[in-house]
Parts: sequence; C-alpha cells; structure tokens
Amino acid sequence: MAAVFSDFRDAHMTGSGPTLAAAITPAAPPEDPGRLRSFYYSTPNSANAACDLRYALLQDKARGVKLPKQEGNTWVDIFCAFWKTAGEIVKLEESPSEGSWTKVFEAWKEVANLLIRGYSTGSLQAWTVPCLYAVGKYLRAFAINADAETSQDSLTFGDGFLDDLVSNGEKNAKLEDAARTINRMFTLCLSDRAPMDESRKWGIYNTTNLLFKTYFRLNQVGLSKNLLRAIDASSGDLPSLEGFPKSHIVTFKYYVGVISFLEENYTEAEEHLTEALAMCHKDAYKNRELILTYLVPCHLVTTRTLPSRQLLAPFPRLESLFRPLCQCIKQGDLVGFDTAMSAGADEFVKRRIYLPLEKGRELTLRNLFRKVFIAGGYEASKSGQPPIRRTRVPVAEFVAALRIGTRAKEKSRADFDEVECLLSSLIYKTLMRGYIARDRGIVVLSKADAFPGTGV
Amino acid sequence: MTSIPTWSIAGPSTGTVVSHYAGTAPPAYIPVQARRSFGLHVESNTPVTAQNTATPPPSPKPQPLTKTRMEWPEPVRKYVQRSFVPEYQIPGISRQEMETRLKQVITEAAESNSLGDIDWETLPLPQDMIQNERRKKILTTPSVSSWDVRAEVASQTFEPTSDERSKKRKSTDYPPMETADSPPWRKTNSRNHMEDRITFPAAEKRQRTDISSKSNAALESRRKRFEDPRSGYGSPQTSSRDESPLPNATQGPIVGRCQDLEKNYFRLTSAPNPDTVRPLTVLEKTLDLLKKKWRRENNYGYICDQFKSLRQDLTVQHIRTEFTVNVYEIHARIALEKGDLGEYNQCQTQLRVLYAQQLGGHPREFKAYRILYFIYTRNQTAINDALADLTPADKSDPAVKHALEVRSALALGNYHRFFQLYLDTPNMGAYLMDMFVDRERLSALTCICKAYKPDVKIRFITEELGFESDEQSARFILDHAPEDLLQEKDGSVRLLTSKAGQIFVLAKSEAHKIVDIKGQI
Repeated sequence: MAAVFSDFRDAHMTGSGPTLAAAITPAAPPEDPGRLRSFYYSTPNSANAACDLRYALLQDKARGVKLPKQEGNTWVDIFCAFWKTAGEIVKLEESPSEGSWTKVFEAWKEVANLLIRGYSTGSLQAWTVPCLYAVGKYLRAFAINADAETSQDSLTFGDGFLDDLVSNGEKNAKLEDAARTINRMFTLCLSDRAPMDESRKWGIYNTTNLLFKTYFRLNQVGLSKNLLRAIDASSGDLPSLEGFPKSHIVTFKYYVGVISFLEENYTEAEEHLTEALAMCHKDAYKNRELILTYLVPCHLVTTRTLPSRQLLAPFPRLESLFRPLCQCIKQGDLVGFDTAMSAGADEFVKRRIYLPLEKGRELTLRNLFRKVFIAGGYEASKSGQPPIRRTRVPVAEFVAALRIGTRAKEKSRADFDEVECLLSSLIYKTLMRGYIARDRGIVVLSKADAFPGTGV
Repeated sequence: MTSIPTWSIAGPSTGTVVSHYAGTAPPAYIPVQARRSFGLHVESNTPVTAQNTATPPPSPKPQPLTKTRMEWPEPVRKYVQRSFVPEYQIPGISRQEMETRLKQVITEAAESNSLGDIDWETLPLPQDMIQNERRKKILTTPSVSSWDVRAEVASQTFEPTSDERSKKRKSTDYPPMETADSPPWRKTNSRNHMEDRITFPAAEKRQRTDISSKSNAALESRRKRFEDPRSGYGSPQTSSRDESPLPNATQGPIVGRCQDLEKNYFRLTSAPNPDTVRPLTVLEKTLDLLKKKWRRENNYGYICDQFKSLRQDLTVQHIRTEFTVNVYEIHARIALEKGDLGEYNQCQTQLRVLYAQQLGGHPREFKAYRILYFIYTRNQTAINDALADLTPADKSDPAVKHALEVRSALALGNYHRFFQLYLDTPNMGAYLMDMFVDRERLSALTCICKAYKPDVKIRFITEELGFESDEQSARFILDHAPEDLLQEKDGSVRLLTSKAGQIFVLAKSEAHKIVDIKGQI
C-alpha cells in the first residue's frame, strides 16, 4: 500500500517533521519511482477520494493515526489536494499531451494554501513545519515549469485598473504567484509568537532562502531587502543563528552576501560569504563553487589580492573564469586586461560579477606604474646612505608605459591629461603615494612605500 | 560676461580676479546647448545652475504673503508652505492654478474673519481641491449609465491624497482603500486597529485551550466571524487573497467611442466606460495635436496630463502597436527634457516591455538612457541587468556605446574621460547627465585636491571638468569652498589644492547621498 500513508503515520508517531515532509513530497524518490502513482491509484476516483483518504490517514486501525478532529480534517483536506496534484503529475507522465504543468502548479498551490491555512488557524503544530519547506520548494519548481510551457508571445494585459501595460510581462506569472504564496509562508514563520521550542520561527531561514531564490530568478533582488528588514526588525525574538540547521544558515549567509555584493557593499559581502564558505559542507561542491564565484571578486576589491592556484584548483571552471584576468593584473598588462575583460564580459555579466572585476583595472594600472617607477632606477647615492629610488618621475614616462601595445593612430590612445587623471585617481585611492606637480610635469612619489602593500 | 559675478562682490581681495575674468575670459568657452529648464533637483543647492535656467525659478514665497504685509497665523503659513512642497504637486494642475486657488482660499478666510476658525492642518491643499472638483465634473457629465453610478460611488469613497498617489506610483497592486479626505501628514491608519494585528495566543492556536476567559471567548467568536463560511472539512476553499480584489477588472479589452481629442487624466477606479475612451483613430489625431501644442505652448503640466490619459486609453483597449511605442517614447522624451524623472521612469519601464515585442521604435536610444538613468540613481543591480540586456549589435550603437563608456569611466574614476563624454552626448542623454554631472564634479575635485600639489590653474579645472568657462568653474568651486581657496598668481587664477582639506570630500558625500525621484520603483 502507498508509502505516503505509512510515512504520514510514522511521522506522527515519532513527531518527525522531515518524515512528514517526505509524505507530502510530490516527486517520487529514485528508490521508489512508483510512489506517486501508487498514491494516486490508491483511491479510484475523485468522488471517493476524500472518504478514502480520510480512512487511510486517520481511521484505518492498522495504518491510520488518531488525531484531534480539526487537525485531522486539515490533513485530510491537504491530502485531497495533494491527491489531485498527484493525478495531474501522473497524467503528465503517462500522456504528456494531455497534462500540463500549469495544472500541476494550480493543484499544488491549493495544497500550499490549505497548509498555510492550517497553520494560521492553529490546527497544525510547529513540528510539522518541514512540510512548508517541501511544499514551498515544489511550488517554486512547478511554477518555473509552468512558466516555461506557457507560450511566451501571448502577452496579456494586467488585471486591475492599471494605467500602463503589464510591467514585467507575464513570462514569470506563475513564479510571481508562487513568490506571493511563499511570502505568506515566510510571514507565517516570522510572526509566530509561540514559545521558542514549539515555534514556527525555526522555519524562518528556510522560507527566507526559498524566497531569495525566487526573487533572484525573477530578477527582483530588491525585494529581498524587505525580507532582511523584516527579519532584522524581529531579530530580538529570533534564536541565535547557531541554533538553526547549518544547511539553512549557509544558504542564508550566501544570499545575504550576494545581496550586499550586488549593492557594492563588498566588505559586508565578504564577511557573509566567508562565513558561508567556512560553514559549507565539504562535499557540497556546487555550493562552494557558487560562494567562491562571489568571494573571489569581493576579495579582489576589499584586499586587492588575487586567488591562489591552490584555492581554485578544485574548481576548474572558476580557474578558467578568473585566471586570465589575474595574470594580466599581476603583470600590469593593461591591454591584456581589457581584452580578457571583454572576452569574458558576457559570462561575467551573467554571473553579476562584471562590475567588481572591472575594478581590477586599477590594480593592473598600479602594477604597470609600479614597473615604471622601478625601471626609473636610483638616485645617485650619497656616500654611505642606502640608495634611494628616483622619486621624481616625469608624467611622460607613465604616458609611454600606457601606450605600450596600442597603435599610434588609435583614438583611444591615452593623452597626457588622461594619464594624469588616472594617476590622480590612483593617488586618491592610496594605491600610490605622492603628488602630481602639474606645472613641472612630474609626479613626486613618496620615498618610502610609494606603492603601498607591494614592497616598493 | 556683462555683469560682475555675484560671488566676487563680497570682498575686495577678489577684485583682481574679477577684472581678470571680465577682460580675458573668452577662449575656454565650449558652447553647450542650453538644456536645463526645469532643474528642480539642483536648484536648491547649486545656484550656478539656477542662473543658467531659461525661466527664473518661481519665487519661493506665494503672493498673498508678500503683497499684504500683515502677520499671518502660523497654521496658515504652514498651509501655504505645504501647498508648494514638490511632492504634493499634482501633474495636470499648474502652479498658477494652484496659486490662484490658494489665494482665493486665504482671501476668503481673511475676509470672513475665519482665519482662526479653519483647521488649516486638515484642510485639503488647493491642488487637491482643484483635482476633486475636476473629478466631480467628469463624473457628473451626462450619459447616466450604470457605470457612472458606480464611479460616483467610487469617487465618494476614494479621494486620494497626494501622499497616497505617490504610493500608488510605486505599486498598483492594492485596490483603493482609504476613505477620508484628510491631508497626508494627518493620515493615521484608522482602518487597521490594533486588534486586527494581534494574533491569537499560541496556546489557543494549538488547541490546548484550557483557559476560557472572557477575552478568549470574544476572540474566538471574532475569529469565527472572519473565517471563511465555506471552510470546513471536505470543501477546499481558495484563499481570498489570491483573487483579484476588483472582480470587474479582468474584463477583456473595450473599444472606445469617445471622439474628443483632448481628455483630462483620471485614474480609473472602476471598469473603463467606452463612452469616455477614445479609439485608435482618434488617439492618432490626439498625438498630432499634442505634438503641435507642445511645440507651441510648452506647457508641461498640460502635456503630461494629456499623455497620461492617452496612455490609459491605449491600455484599456489593449492597443500594443508601433503607435503605442511612439506615444511612450515621445512622453519619455518630454519628461526628460523637463527633468520629470518619475514620469520618465514609468515610460522607460513600459518601453522596455514594448521593445521586447519588437514593435519598432528606438530601442537603442532608450537603452542608452536607461543606463544613464541607473548611473544617476546608482542602482548597481539594475546596471548589471541593463548590461545583460545588451546584444552585441546594441553595444556597437553610438548612443549605447557612449552610455557604457560613461559608466566605465565613472567606475574607474576616470573623470577626464567622463567629462569628455559629457560634452559629446548623443540624443537627449545630456538631460540625464545633467542630473549627476555636478555630483561627479565634486568627486573629481576631491580627487584633484588630493593628488595635485600645491595648486592647479583654474583653466585646468575648467577643461577637465567640462565647464563652459573659467568663471563658471570658479563659481562652482566657491559654491562649496571659501574664497581664499582661489588665488591669483603669475597672472592666472589658481585653485590651492593643498589647502582644500576635507571641503570637497564633505560636499561630495553630501551630494552623493540623495537621489530623490518621485515615483521611482
């Protein structure tokens, strides 16, 4: 008989949220591919479904579990909706032309609504909260499938009395719908005022993560800030992060890091991403790769250091993404840097790391100018004194360095004023120490530590 | 250079400077098309730009106060001030109309000796009065259909205040709810009583209720009232939240019958009435008329209002053609020219959707504006999205290329390149760049003051920071710094960079702090 029911019973006997979540997961696990089908065919038709499910879940002496009336009713309602969803999924599997992800999504949304209702009316207990995770997760997945199958060109006009057209188009209509539902789950967790050991607050980070994921996919990263504000506002009532499952926290930290990253708060971003990396399971390859995708550019901006080969060795994709740039930065190869930037531009933009990587150009420039300084050699040393580098460097020498590799006729070729501007920008950012004496056409560099942090 | 610059009048020490300008100023003059005429954002903190504006900024004090020299009570003065606050202005109601009305209100009150009796704090602002009257006029026009009745009801229950409207611009998800006609600063959320927000005690939620106190019982019965009557076992109900708040809203497109060319904008609160909607053929004539009127009269309040009603008519009839694109593009350009970035942004957002459907128009011109706009609002996430939207063909378009170079120049602190680009901006991008060029000038000055010692010629500043003349750059500097930072030496004026200290650093961070755009999403 359907494993769904035995999971339901076991979960209630042991008070195990994850087991209960497994019971209402609308996807068959690999080891039991027929699970959903057998659940769907456990009752012959929709007329009897409610009755049969009620019997199987609650009344059957051998398999059922006795629950208070309201709680029992809620579960029967939920499983009825689940059964309908299973029907749609089975239909999609057996005859793809008849089924549709939109129908699956709509049916599953009903499950989500009933579940939310179960919590808000108080008929469901807090330990069952992992059900929210499972339901939310699949709601998002089904929505994405449904949006993909909806024809893209049939644009509709918005509901309500909008003056203008639909702003986002509706190619993500279902996912936006899902986001609203998941947002209610978020509120459900955050606003629970029960004592901590029986509170839904423990579900807060999981639902938040799910919303982050959804907003990122919808390209509405801005909305994530609202969640963070809400969490921040009630942070006094939340247990400390250490109390939560690591899996929730790693993901949470990752997203908070990326959000700061996108707002160019690289210091904050680095902090969160570093925590996420430290806490991430060593075998979670993809997650670690994702974290590093943002942490490396972050590090470049905040500490002006490049990733070591050792760090990136396990991640060949990242190695090939970052290495060409790193080489050029190291060698002060400005032309090479620009070439590498435009070669990788599409990929960088897609991963949203273009803007911080671009700042690597300043480091390249710094390294190039540092070479100019070193090539300038030493002043004639006074007897007995350690030799001092030539600190008065004509701007013309920097101009010449910048022109290496560019063609004389090119419009983009640097002129004196532009090179001065670049120099002043480096000085302003303390990548160089010294000043420009414009009337004399020279740069006067600091005798000690002219290029801070580079040993020169 | 006919008049002595105001900044130099203050002290005798700068007298030589003035003569220098008056005498030899010319060569650095880089003629730049005069553009700004509505620079509200800059007006307040940089008098320099105000001097350039074609029309002088309206006098900050309303006439009734300046003309009659009597002491007005404090509440009246506050009321007048509020009437002029930019956030409370309503598109479509000109300043003149508002002022006339304001005058009328105050004069009437003064003549009837009721200045002290009126509650000025709750009295609707003159612009709100005008708008309400206009609405009533629209609603009481003939053709009494069932729609009109509904609309009448709606007008009674929904009189948005300007505060609300600004919220509406941000999100149209919510149905109109507020009822009172009270002014925004007085708005208390009377609908959400505390009890609505209280959740039930956890114990009850978990059905282990053993306390049956009176309040609990009351809460219980209240909860029952709020519970869906269809709820209960076996009849799964849909959540009311997901249903459209206004059942009539989802009707299909309508076809308009109105033949008037002009129509005031009125935000829909119920299904549109075909009698007041203009069909496409009429709308096309409307656009021609508006274009002519704009050229002739240049009345932005009127034009903006007309374009909004035009856009609305297109939307309710589901017209999505090249004409639609055309309408939005023209409105966007006019808004740009007038510095109304809120309205511009609305058009820009719509245009993005329209361009995605390949309806024609000028997608690259507007893609370039979009990048410049996000540079102004410093929305890094959006800039990244804008970059992701570009095709290789887009990137080779001169306007897009220009915008990208502007972005990159700023990101890398290359002010030299930035101001070169500023002086050579294609299309109407300069209106957008005007919005942030002063801010970037301050950034560049901070940089220059740190990097150059001991001083630089003012000529250098003029050339590097895209000023039109040495005089203009000197004015700009003195708007932020004390006079002694400029000194004449060897026949030329110099900026004493080593003495600038934190002056420009502070001015810069101040200037970068605020980007205030009405209706920005």
